[in-house]
Amino acid sequence: MEETIQDPFVLRRYVVLATKNLRRRPVRTGLTVAGVALAVTVAVSLGGFMLGYRGAIDKSIKMLGYQVMIMAKGCPYEAATMMLKGGTGLLYLPGDTYQQVKSDPDIENITPIFVGVVEKQASSIRDEGAASNFTIISGIDVPSFLVMKPWLGFKQGPGYANGRWFTPGSKDEVVLGFEAAEYEQRKVGDSFYASITPAGKPNPVMYQFTVVGVLERTGTQDDGTVFLPIDATREYFNRPNQLTILGIKLKEFSSFKMREFETRWLKLPEVQVVGLQQVKNTLVNLVATAQTMIAAVAAIAVIVALIGVINTILMSVYERTAEIGIMKALGARRGSIFQLIWLETLMVCFVGALVGSAMAVIGAGLVETAIKGLADLGVSGSIVQITPALVGYTVLVAVVLGFFAGLYPAWCAASMRPVEAIGKGG
Amino acid sequence: MKSVVVFMMFAVLAMPQQAFAAIGCTLSNPAEDLKYLYPEMTTYKEDLNEFPLLKDGTELFRALRERLGSDLDPIYETYETPYTVYSVFKGQQKIGVVHGVNVPGKGGVIQVFLSMDPQTGEIRRFFFQRLESPAARQLRSKEFLSQFEGLTLGDFYKHDYYATVDPGAKADKVAAITPPVFEVSGRPDYEASLRGIRKNLILVDFFVYGKKFEPYFERAKQATEKAKARKE
Repeated sequence: MEETIQDPFVLRRYVVLATKNLRRRPVRTGLTVAGVALAVTVAVSLGGFMLGYRGAIDKSIKMLGYQVMIMAKGCPYEAATMMLKGGTGLLYLPGDTYQQVKSDPDIENITPIFVGVVEKQASSIRDEGAASNFTIISGIDVPSFLVMKPWLGFKQGPGYANGRWFTPGSKDEVVLGFEAAEYEQRKVGDSFYASITPAGKPNPVMYQFTVVGVLERTGTQDDGTVFLPIDATREYFNRPNQLTILGIKLKEFSSFKMREFETRWLKLPEVQVVGLQQVKNTLVNLVATAQTMIAAVAAIAVIVALIGVINTILMSVYERTAEIGIMKALGARRGSIFQLIWLETLMVCFVGALVGSAMAVIGAGLVETAIKGLADLGVSGSIVQITPALVGYTVLVAVVLGFFAGLYPAWCAASMRPVEAIGKGG
Repeated sequence: MKSVVVFMMFAVLAMPQQAFAAIGCTLSNPAEDLKYLYPEMTTYKEDLNEFPLLKDGTELFRALRERLGSDLDPIYETYETPYTVYSVFKGQQKIGVVHGVNVPGKGGVIQVFLSMDPQTGEIRRFFFQRLESPAARQLRSKEFLSQFEGLTLGDFYKHDYYATVDPGAKADKVAAITPPVFEVSGRPDYEASLRGIRKNLILVDFFVYGKKFEPYFERAKQATEKAKARKE
């Protein structure tokens, strides 16, 4: 009866023999495995980035609290950035937009927000070229804002105890986001200076506020924001009847309802209605080109690695011509030779895929830092997410590609005639 | 291979912690800023100093508090706070030392930077990187800032000494500094700035000059203790 590779005992012998063959040229085998590993590292990292980035967008959007935003007409990219990063160079809505929209029957909750940008007094040794720093001030209506973002909580512990929102009617109290407090090194009870340039005025006016609370870290733009009561903020910025955003949660959030809502309110001449899906699509499109290019590089890396594998196994086959001839002369069948060479290819690809996946997992932090260092992608949180499923899928693809890469060398080896092979090899 | 794996593991594990680390004070654009301060600079080096990583870190941190003469902020001036010292080179020659510290101001953080002579420890230039204050314009004025040029940590310790044994002594260079004219609301930031200069000089004395100004501190300390004993 012919031995088959499905038999575990036979398979073990094949694996031992294939390993022995591969170890004959450890440097060559090692370099080939390294080539596969690098290609897999790139592929897994890219896959992790694609997964993680979409996840980060979803999380950032969810943490906004609202599903729809009404804002002044302008660039959709600016709208997307404003939703996720706070945004600068702001356009304003007439204040009565809030009164008009809030009676819409499809709205579950609505919160008006006034965003203002405060230029920090910058200084450096190069006074003439000093870079300016900005602080984002969000004027909010606390009750409706908290309905949208119920997870906002105050930091506790020494220096932060008794954090709270503003007392009604207060104009000189601020609540700082986690990073804003760290950046300004403020604690609850400290003073906080902000120089605000009122609309229509040439020079900023410095105001002194009291920090009444520091928020817990949320991983969103709220961390870097300074919160003030909305009416006071509008007064400081000399825009008493204007708003920046209306954040809206609909009773039923579906494409149909969203379109209906949009149609109803686009009749207002100065507004645009931006939904979550639009923002998500905008942000995904922003990085889609870069992702395609990286995917192309990854594909080239995979092709180069596969050529390397084919080359290595072919060289190995040609070096062992005489040996294969003797094996066949002693009774080895074509199928056995084919399976042996094929197995060597699969082993190179499998080990390379495992090593590459491990490198990708270990290097995920570095990749994330590099990507964030190269470009501001408009989201916070982790943007590289390497899951077990992704690793498993990549290893499987590598093995399948190895399956095809091994066909030609295995066929060459299996097709050798014993006498010719012994003659050539001898 | 093992060391590569260990390095990569360290990088992965260390990175998330950075987000929660204490905040240090670094130049916004070190290469440009240092070139501006030292046009002849050819290269510079950054040395990160952290008390927990120093052999005598606990003792140094205690010494900082004692020499500063005021409490350190328990949240923003902690034992874990990192300090970056910039060494400026012209070829092989070290031509300057630059160091900055954060100090809490009345309405926000104040970043006090000093550039110093690498041999003598004298202040070459004093500047703010961040300062939000009603007195900002006055504190940033060249007239005020230039008064600190040529001073060392020794002069601040001598000031402590003279304040005890001979108030108003002509040799007290620190007492001779004229505060700028500003509204009362600017006073806390003026005082915070002076505290920042002193804190900066003490730290650089620890990290760079090997505590060369300690004798002046000891003398001031003894004088203070004697004066205290006399009172009692």
